[in-house]
Amino acid sequence: MNKFISKKVPFICFVFIPIVFLWHPNWLGFLGIQPYWPLFWLLPWSMIHGSINGFIFGLFLGLILDSVTLESSFTQIPGLILCGVLFGRIKIHSDMLVGYFRYGLICSFGSLLCGTLYFLQILFNNFQDSNFLLFIPSIKNIFADVFLTSLFAPLICSQLFRLFNWYRHKPSIIYLEKK
Amino acid sequence: MSVIRRIPSNRWWHKKKNWIFFVSLILLIFARISKGSFYKDFYYFLSKPFWPGQFQKEVILKSVQQESFVQSNLLKKDNKRLREILSLQRLSEIDTISAAVISRKTGGWWRQIILNKGSKDGVEVGSFVLGPGGLLGRVSNTSLFTSSVILLTSPESKLGVWVDRIQTSGLLVGSGYEFPSLIIYSQDADVKVGDYVSSSPASTLLPPNIPIGVIQSIDESFKAKKTAKILLFAKPHAIDWVQIVEVKI
Repeated sequence: MNKFISKKVPFICFVFIPIVFLWHPNWLGFLGIQPYWPLFWLLPWSMIHGSINGFIFGLFLGLILDSVTLESSFTQIPGLILCGVLFGRIKIHSDMLVGYFRYGLICSFGSLLCGTLYFLQILFNNFQDSNFLLFIPSIKNIFADVFLTSLFAPLICSQLFRLFNWYRHKPSIIYLEKK
Repeated sequence: MSVIRRIPSNRWWHKKKNWIFFVSLILLIFARISKGSFYKDFYYFLSKPFWPGQFQKEVILKSVQQESFVQSNLLKKDNKRLREILSLQRLSEIDTISAAVISRKTGGWWRQIILNKGSKDGVEVGSFVLGPGGLLGRVSNTSLFTSSVILLTSPESKLGVWVDRIQTSGLLVGSGYEFPSLIIYSQDADVKVGDYVSSSPASTLLPPNIPIGVIQSIDESFKAKKTAKILLFAKPHAIDWVQIVEVKI
């Protein structure tokens, strides 16, 4: 039973992402802007499971978050997919020994990517009206997002990484001992 | 051997009387230095019910309120009659649904609030949402128990509005930023900072004359149009209860 739960921990956390995204706790915010929650889950997941899993779950996350938000002509899917794939590549270069600060750096890069992609969508959507310059002030959103995400990433990502990795390591150790 | 000496009790600091004297002296000195502010404050609270101006002020304020209430009612009636004659869009006998805000995303790219009344309570997609201060946004999605409202600041929101002072209509475009932009499609429109923006009387989406905001700053005009930043009256990050009003066309 315990093993069952610990195997499902990533998925339980996954379910809670849209809830936190909707919850929007104001006391965590900065300029009314929240950290980009899905990245905190996506980083450890795709570091452990690789690029393809990162791609798939980036897609899933994007679909869920798009359904939760109202905007129908903008989507978060491309940013999350790109982040998933990139985060999956990280595992190849460095094995498990990722320092706390690197979590922050990686996440800030990811949120910069997602924010920029989203912003570009808004720009291009309004391009034909030639009032796309109106949206320039909202670049502030991206930077606040990047700042907050990198602030919270070391804390949350390392914990999630440990949680996700916990059940994976135990059987392998037993397996080695038997040999 | 030890001799127990009697402790002399006739020192001045052993007498209670003296202490009382000193304490009251200090209090009095303090009162003197502070020019009797304690007394005055005490008197303030004591005499508060008997002030002359208080009651009078209340009466006057009340009558002013009543006057403006009656006046606005009369104007409303008059307005309704005239609108009926012209057969324009109107706020008919309003049936509002009041709802509580259960989730709000008021910063960043996604600007929406979720209300605790849904299609079960008769909320329809497209009805608009009023908060204290004026228009908040429009219901763009309902579930059984909740309805999601797209705020005016959201980058997807576009709305025709009316600047009353210069009798011009414009387009209010949200931008994922606190202050949505007003676009007026004429170069020589005489908008000024401080002009009120309300919902357009020609609009088919919204009833007329709902206050929306005030012009906060005007950008440089380019390509035959003027843009301005609008400060909204209704503050979605602070509002807990809203009214959902259905549009009847």
